[in-house]
Amino acid sequence: MAPLPGRGLAKGLAVTLRTMTRRSVTAQYPDVQPELPPRSRGVIGLLEENCTVCMLCARECPDWCIYIDSHKETLPAADPGARARTRNVLDRFAIDFSLCMYCGICIEVCPFDALFWSPEFEYAETDIHELTHERDRLREWMWTVPAPPALDPAAEEPKEVAAARKTADKQAAAAAAAREAAAAPAAVSPSPDSAEEQQDS
Amino acid sequence: MRETTVGIGSGAENVTELGTSDMVLNIGPQHPSTHGVLRLKLVLDGERIVSAEPVVGYMHRGAEKLFEARDYRQIVMLANRHDWLSAFSNELGVVLAVERMLGMEVPERAVWLRTLLAELNRVLNHLMFLGSYPLELGGITPVFYAFEGRETLQHVLEEASGGRMHYMFNRVGGLKEDLPAGWTGRVRAAVAQVRAQMGRIDDLVLGNEIFRGRTAGVGVLAPELVHAYGVSGPIARASGVDFDLRRDEPYLAYGELGDVLRVAVREEGDCLARFECLLEQTHVSLDLADACLDRIAGLAPGPVNLRLPKVLKAPEGHTYAWTENPLGVNGYYLVSRGDKTPWRLKLRSASYNNIQALTELLPGTLVADMVAILGSMFFVVGDIDK
Repeated sequence: MAPLPGRGLAKGLAVTLRTMTRRSVTAQYPDVQPELPPRSRGVIGLLEENCTVCMLCARECPDWCIYIDSHKETLPAADPGARARTRNVLDRFAIDFSLCMYCGICIEVCPFDALFWSPEFEYAETDIHELTHERDRLREWMWTVPAPPALDPAAEEPKEVAAARKTADKQAAAAAAAREAAAAPAAVSPSPDSAEEQQDS
Repeated sequence: MRETTVGIGSGAENVTELGTSDMVLNIGPQHPSTHGVLRLKLVLDGERIVSAEPVVGYMHRGAEKLFEARDYRQIVMLANRHDWLSAFSNELGVVLAVERMLGMEVPERAVWLRTLLAELNRVLNHLMFLGSYPLELGGITPVFYAFEGRETLQHVLEEASGGRMHYMFNRVGGLKEDLPAGWTGRVRAAVAQVRAQMGRIDDLVLGNEIFRGRTAGVGVLAPELVHAYGVSGPIARASGVDFDLRRDEPYLAYGELGDVLRVAVREEGDCLARFECLLEQTHVSLDLADACLDRIAGLAPGPVNLRLPKVLKAPEGHTYAWTENPLGVNGYYLVSRGDKTPWRLKLRSASYNNIQALTELLPGTLVADMVAILGSMFFVVGDIDK
């Protein structure tokens, strides 16, 4: 216990006094917007072109708040000999954000990268039905999606980069093999630039 | 404390106009002094509590039953919500149980990152109670300081996981994704900043005569009661029950952190001891977070998760995983029949056991002390009701 009565109180008041001399840490929200990291889970954007109506997101959603309607369309055969193809056409894609638990499973399972997180969060409504965002609104969110952050140096390569590197390595190897084959007869000298270009692409 | 007893003669108890009768007072489910919707049914004899009964279940969401209809990724999402202040630690118990069933070896980087994040989560949880407990005793200021620290840590956690409370960052086999570049440096800065600010809580609260007067010697929980009710966590350790799973049955990387991990123990068992335990644990957790960061910097580059099959099924059998959550021991009893959902996932949440001790702790105390005792039990109603 403090030897002097009231010492603890004085110490506490000193803390308050010290804080009084400092700038406040609070931000006046509507005037000052928070700085949100790119991974922030604010709202889900939909890139319709990538959606194949596979329904994985709707099935994996833990509270089934994604609504998808679609129909099959038959494309006429391109050649006279080919058969007609059918494809899925998206009629409705809606996410009910009043039910959504913001877990991100739909985005994780989407095999064609049609869904993305956006840090936007200002979509409160006075009517709960308005929280069901239809495809046009989900598309609007798409333009607010930030680029993903660069990964830690100790991290494994992202699989997109790894796949691209594999293709590039394969092409470089093929180009090198072609150059060797061309160098052996030495009659036709292939321009080394073309191989380089291929490697770059 | 002065007590006045007014004698009105024998037999007066039978006369309704003069005699006193016990009063039943409901604290909650909606009451300013409760957190959330815990209801306490108190029987009062004047100002003194004769008996107390915690009535639980107002926030029961059937989490355990919902687990049975969700696959293991969806369960993570549900599991981090019952105790919303320690979401990361809750996720951890579920994935540890499933990984044990599958016999899965988690990459080293993931293990260390999980340890780091679990400790940051512990600091977040403790800061909440370090701020809200003085608030309940009438000190409004500390909560702002506590929340400043919380905000600092929440910011780095959001940067990695995308969430401020429900991180959803654990997956069976590791973590969801790797860290953003430069994150570890920012965590180090955040931890240093929070540590530098911790002194304010020491000065403002712990030394305060009013705070000490309201908590010292109030609500003494005997070690026998701790054992009888299965009380765990900082509350049990404040009563001298020296039990911490991080040290006594190490999981994650805690086994290698033995030199940093100090278990905060007090003997008094009163409200002040519980608060002191929580405060000391926060300091220890900040040190642990720094130790984890040191180790992560020295680890070889590698993955943070394992490739999982499209449909993840736990093999038939059962296992019990328990973790030292910020509020106490959380247990997960997983029974699988080989399906992609568990057949049963029993959740042993810390708060549920901890508040049962109120039945023994409150009788004999005054109503004014009830708030001090209730606040010092550090519970989350979602964790009680599941």
